Amino acid sequence: MANIAVARIKREFREVVKSEEAAKCNIRVELIDDNFTELRGEIAGPPETPYEGGKFLLEIKIPETYPFNPPKVKFMTKIWHPNISSVTGAICLDILKDQWAAAMTLRTVLLSLQALLSAAEPDDPQDAVVAKQYKENRHLWEKTARHWAQEYAEAPKSKKDDEFYDKVSQLAEMGFDRHKALTALSAHEWNMERATQDLIS
Amino acid sequence: MSADVTGDGAGAEGGGGADVDQGTYECNICLDTARDAVVSLCGHLFCWPCLHQWLETRPNRQLCPVCKAGISRDKVIPLYGRGGSQMDPRTKTPPRPQGQRPEPENNHGGWTFGDGGFQMSFGIGAFPFGFFASAFNFNDGRPGPAPPGTPQAEEERVLSTLFLWIALIFMFWLLMA
Repeated sequence: MANIAVARIKREFREVVKSEEAAKCNIRVELIDDNFTELRGEIAGPPETPYEGGKFLLEIKIPETYPFNPPKVKFMTKIWHPNISSVTGAICLDILKDQWAAAMTLRTVLLSLQALLSAAEPDDPQDAVVAKQYKENRHLWEKTARHWAQEYAEAPKSKKDDEFYDKVSQLAEMGFDRHKALTALSAHEWNMERATQDLIS
Repeated sequence: MSADVTGDGAGAEGGGGADVDQGTYECNICLDTARDAVVSLCGHLFCWPCLHQWLETRPNRQLCPVCKAGISRDKVIPLYGRGGSQMDPRTKTPPRPQGQRPEPENNHGGWTFGDGGFQMSFGIGAFPFGFFASAFNFNDGRPGPAPPGTPQAEEERVLSTLFLWIALIFMFWLLMA
């Protein structure tokens, strides 16, 4: 990899480690390989969102042309958010595409992603199903997103929704994969009949 | 390799004061001390090779990497420190844009009247004898108007009014003759 990319990632890595946000456990990075081409990021679910208390892992790939082109980032932790694919974890965020600027760093990217969790942009969606639910039934979206955070991001289960757990368990007992059952239920307003139909087809 | 970085071990660098001082002259792209430094009109510091590469990466959207202000090759200012390399930076690729050397502002003293008068006399001729005015007026570097409020500005105002009247009388005379 180009020298400038390695030198920069080393510095940015230090910047994140020394940052205030890292001290408060809001953001974190880990190295995956020796040549600094891949990193693992982690952001905390922001307070007063359905993601509160959750930990979201990110895959960060540094391109050869970094910092002139943005890093490739996606969510490894499954998440229910209008701008993040519930299937692949792909992120729709302008600064990771055409609004990237060479002065941005790992720290600012992680903080921007955290901000994205607080403020979704349903009009520029990555996951159309989630975005539709966000716009049409915000309350259900919030409950679903919280349920996903509890299921996949270790969010505390203090506001656990027993109804959702029961429905997933029912489908799991019928022999469906737990994650597939949860996805089908989330996409069909937690309607058992329609979710089952979706799973069979 | 997997390093937990929430610990305090990784990359501890000098004291706070030294850090602050170091950061001041870091290039905003490579985050290293700026080499062949240039500064944008919005005040952000870069290595010229770094900024050049950024501008090359997106030739259609040339924005400052820090504040996204408009930026261009012609509108950055090179910084020359005293201890810098003796080598002419222009021999390197890509060549760093050159500094501009605007003329220092002259403070015209006693010779203002003569100079002004010379120009004014052509000014009269400008209407009927435009050809002469353009052909013989090789005094290119006219000083700009004096700042308002100075005695010089007052003098210029009086003179221009005076010459306007002379011009009007001259034209009237031409029409009568």
